[in-house]
Amino acid sequence: MPNSKDYNKVQVLIVGAGPAGLAAAIQTKKNNPELDVCVIDKAFGAGNHNLSGAVLEHEPLHSLLDSAADGWRESKEAKDVLGQTIRSEKIPFMPSSKIAFDLLFVIKIAKRLGLGLGGLLHNGDYAISISKLSKWLTRIARDAGVEVLYGFAAQEIFFDKDTGLTTGIKLIDQGLDKEGNKQPNYLAGDIINADFIILAEGCDGLLTEKFIEKANLKRKQPQLFSLGVKELIRVSPEQYKKFGADRVVHAMGYPIWTPILGPAIFGGGIIYPGTDNHLAVGMTVGADWKYYDFNPQDALTKFKDHKFVKQFIEGGTIVESGAKLIPEGGLHAIPRDSQTDSIGKGNCLIIGDGAGFVNMLKIRGIHLAIDSGIQAATAIINSAAEPGATSVKYTELIDKGMVGKEMKSAANYRQTIAKFGPTLGFPLSIISNLLPKFTIEEDYKTMTEAKYKLKPQRNFDKDAFTATAATEHREEEPCHLEILDIDTCEWECAPKFDRPCITFCPAGVYEIVDGKAKAANPSNCLHCKTCQRKCPFDNIKWTVPEGGGGPRYRKM
Amino acid sequence: MSDYIVLIKQVPDISQITDNAFDPEKGTLIRSRLANVINELDAQALTFAHKMRTDSGDGEGKIICLSMGPPMADEILRYSLSRCADVAVLLTDRLLAGADTAATANPLAYAIRKIERDIIKDPNDYYIVSGMQSVDGDTAQVPPQIAEELQLPCITYVTGAEYKNNRFEFTRIITGGSQIVTSKKKPAVITVAEYEFPLFAAFTKTRKANETQIFKWQASDINAAHIGVDGSKTSVIRVFPPPETTRKCRQIENAGELAGIILKKFKVDKKAGEQKTPEDIRKYIMPEDRKDLFDRTYEGTEKENKQFAVLSEILKELQIQDISKIDNSIRENILAKAQKSFTGRALENMLNGLSKRKPTYQGQIWVCSEYEDKKIHPATFELIGKANHLADILGTKVGVTIIGNNIEKFSEELIAAGADNIYIVEHPLLEEFDPSAYKKALVSAIEKYWPQIVLFAATPQGRVLAPLVSYKLGCGLTADCTSLDIRDNSKKEQIAVLLQTRPALGGNVMATITTINSRSQMATARPGVMKRLPEDKSRKGNVVKHEVQISSDDIALEIINTEHSTGNVNFDADIIISGGKGLQNKEGYNSLIKPLRDSIVKTVKVEAEIGASRSAVEQGFIDRIHQVGQTGTAVGPKIYIAIGISGAIQHMIGVANCDTIIAVNSDHNAPIFKQCDYYIIGNAEDVVPQLIEALRVKQDAE
Repeated sequence: MPNSKDYNKVQVLIVGAGPAGLAAAIQTKKNNPELDVCVIDKAFGAGNHNLSGAVLEHEPLHSLLDSAADGWRESKEAKDVLGQTIRSEKIPFMPSSKIAFDLLFVIKIAKRLGLGLGGLLHNGDYAISISKLSKWLTRIARDAGVEVLYGFAAQEIFFDKDTGLTTGIKLIDQGLDKEGNKQPNYLAGDIINADFIILAEGCDGLLTEKFIEKANLKRKQPQLFSLGVKELIRVSPEQYKKFGADRVVHAMGYPIWTPILGPAIFGGGIIYPGTDNHLAVGMTVGADWKYYDFNPQDALTKFKDHKFVKQFIEGGTIVESGAKLIPEGGLHAIPRDSQTDSIGKGNCLIIGDGAGFVNMLKIRGIHLAIDSGIQAATAIINSAAEPGATSVKYTELIDKGMVGKEMKSAANYRQTIAKFGPTLGFPLSIISNLLPKFTIEEDYKTMTEAKYKLKPQRNFDKDAFTATAATEHREEEPCHLEILDIDTCEWECAPKFDRPCITFCPAGVYEIVDGKAKAANPSNCLHCKTCQRKCPFDNIKWTVPEGGGGPRYRKM
Repeated sequence: MSDYIVLIKQVPDISQITDNAFDPEKGTLIRSRLANVINELDAQALTFAHKMRTDSGDGEGKIICLSMGPPMADEILRYSLSRCADVAVLLTDRLLAGADTAATANPLAYAIRKIERDIIKDPNDYYIVSGMQSVDGDTAQVPPQIAEELQLPCITYVTGAEYKNNRFEFTRIITGGSQIVTSKKKPAVITVAEYEFPLFAAFTKTRKANETQIFKWQASDINAAHIGVDGSKTSVIRVFPPPETTRKCRQIENAGELAGIILKKFKVDKKAGEQKTPEDIRKYIMPEDRKDLFDRTYEGTEKENKQFAVLSEILKELQIQDISKIDNSIRENILAKAQKSFTGRALENMLNGLSKRKPTYQGQIWVCSEYEDKKIHPATFELIGKANHLADILGTKVGVTIIGNNIEKFSEELIAAGADNIYIVEHPLLEEFDPSAYKKALVSAIEKYWPQIVLFAATPQGRVLAPLVSYKLGCGLTADCTSLDIRDNSKKEQIAVLLQTRPALGGNVMATITTINSRSQMATARPGVMKRLPEDKSRKGNVVKHEVQISSDDIALEIINTEHSTGNVNFDADIIISGGKGLQNKEGYNSLIKPLRDSIVKTVKVEAEIGASRSAVEQGFIDRIHQVGQTGTAVGPKIYIAIGISGAIQHMIGVANCDTIIAVNSDHNAPIFKQCDYYIIGNAEDVVPQLIEALRVKQDAE
């Protein structure tokens, strides 16, 4: 390799090494091996920032691997990552802490009637760990000749208003101290120039949101979020067997929705099987919860204490935990160019969760992430002569394809529940696509002075949670979380809501120090960004810390 | 324009040990289940070399990274290339595997010779920079041994370098202080004990690193003299989990009771002797003194004791008196009777062992003494205590060496502590500790008297002198032992040898090691673990002067300045009192933690140090150097007192080795209560003054 090579330049730059970004990389390289494709990710290593349930619909992944990785079905990783096909499921409705009855038959009827709710059925899908999937795809991408580089956090994106093209990105400066002074090991962030840029950062991506603003993309409705908190628990072989390695559970009701007395929060609990006697137990809750003292981890505790759940996990050891936002706004929350409708602009595309490709009827999005990556790759190959046309081509493929179809079918579902609450919203959601488009407010505006009625006596042990999430940041780096206006915090939020960030942050980042709320433990941050979406005064900004920081999920 | 050879090692990431990593049956750590990373001190060494290159304005100087390990160790070479390295060399060959420190240092030294020939511009102008030690082995032996093989000066425990008058002045840690030195010649070996500010990977350099070719050398490329298992001088005979600590979790109602517990702990300890390695195991008896001719139940492992017991019974039953008369049919008979207690090959080894009855090693038990600031280091007395115990078993004498100038005055004190013979090497040039000169002095004395065991303190001085001496003499060395005993390893035909037990992998496993293929057995032992004997001024001993020719050419380092400081944190103290964010603010910390420390020093009469949790440090209660825990320092005092600390797992990992943990917290549900021995529920402002008062009253009463 000649020394004169410009290492600041790549042809196709992909930001984010989740299933979407890696699928885009693999497919691009497959379509044209001559192209120089580079994926960067802020995590320490492959899969470390990927968290999901997860249930995976196999179609897009199979077609990606069939074209890119010969003999993948026989590989060790395939058996490890995709070893568990779902053959049975339970959809318990839990009206109280002790009772549960199975709604599976209702869903089956819904499916037979062709109603959207039928999408909840998962027979034949894989129960997977998305961390492991990403690690595997990283290997496949590298084998195909893609550069996948971990530990590089992108901070800025350069969009040229005049040409409508994106020229590149800048990585974060590293080696600053808490006050922002340069330490002896200071390293200015590299600028990376690229012909094509794919933003695959996942939910609420930093560059993605900056790009949306700079390129003036618009959402018809604000993005809605859910927060998922999850623990991976090693249980006894008997418990694991009792649960079943081919079964998934999606629970509704207690402790976030008890129809008559409240609380009423969208979401539910999950139990998925992992390998080696591990069960994933999680709780996803709509970030439009109203209760100022609500912590989703409390709901997880209550869920785990429910008689139905307890039988499978009692006495188990928590081996990993984590938290992450899910984009749930659906079709109307996809950011688009106001003239061309393109998802992205010019040579810059937005794929996967970053664009909001989650089918809420199925509560699944990984297959759409992978499919959007494949479509992005196709658009790039077809735009070699005219990079500026890529985003329009990509959007055509998306709208006509699997992603567009699924997003349309679930278009109004989540909004119906956001609008009417779960008790009325769930039944109404059956006809959600017949209802008009609602005006929906952002999640942060929904906070009230109401209390969460089922709050447990004891505070959740957030330290143990972050320890098993293995999260780490350099202690001396500048705080990456900013409370924008401390007066609002002190004089408006404190008296009204008692500063909910302290309660809901799953990592216990926020604390009262000398009477003031402060991001006192930024090194515990799990990069879930709930604070930036749920602070009732929209008063917290999440910026990116140094590369390599954050959780180190391995089996999430 | 110097070049820099940086030695780096790939190690398991012991900061991220999950319980999946332990063998459920044996309880031992399974190394392959841990992620592999660059040894942190080696990453610091890389940064240090980069700083040296920058500070000396050596734009042209090359940084060459050298590692030895399996092929996957190329990851850490890429790590280095993506930061500042120019060239990467990986020494990788199955023949090199299973080596002890000497058989690691030797091929590395040969690889350095090859680098000197093939890569470096000027063979007289380079530095070898390395981390002081690796987290897995934790011995700090390899760099000094490389220096010895290459006959280079070795500057250990370095924390800083300043480029002045065209040369580097290095700041290094010495026992009880620090020193500024410079090397009289180049090349030189520098081991880095601490250097902050690890370099970040640059995007462009990372891309380039992934395209750079790493030189892969095999054993045949370097032709080293001693490699692999066969080239080693020590052998691991057993790996086992560290003893489990079970916390009592007992609630204490008042400060008075707590004061009683603290005082009692030290009264018991002063009598108890070596607490962590109980001596109540059977005292060793020489084979010739055993009642039963074939009694070999003094082996290093339980398994072998059992096998020999079975064999001994069978030999009795068959009325065999002479091992040499056992023919093949008797062998088969023995194997049949043994019912698979051992294999045919094991039987062969056992019979071989039985034919040996004389001790493998002969000679005295030596202790290499150390002194600082005109006072004998307490660890020396502890080692003499241990040496007495060993000499008693082996029926030999205890010898103690003192090296320096005007040091004869120490003899009396050392004899009173248990020495039989004092060997004095005096010379004006030995006034200050110079590793090369001290090595020459000690090697000369050992070569004259050949003791069977030489013990060093695992101090900054002992940990550099011991590897230089042992490597020079071709003897095995075990670092940082916590237990030393005499046992047989009959199957290997070793009789009455020193069993050296030490923690490894950050204290997560224990290993028992014996010395092989050596004329003397050498070990360093951790200060504070062995027990000194009561002083006996009536003891008599010989003082022997040993003459050694020392010239200024033997002195490798020029000492510019020595400082014996007291400002450092002494986490080796018997009691550590830590404060957490429950103390509210800096004033709370200062007004409670420090007075409690002072009170303990006065009343309990032991060393005490103050510590803090991460959040207390974060909020500025005290300097970061006092931070205890996963990201601070792991401590292991006899008593750890945690005040206003909740007991986050990150903190508790750092105090796992403490004998007794006492917690004071106002939160009834503080997790620390489930992980401590004694606790009081209450406000620190109330409990601490009560405790100070109670300590004073109880002490006065006695």
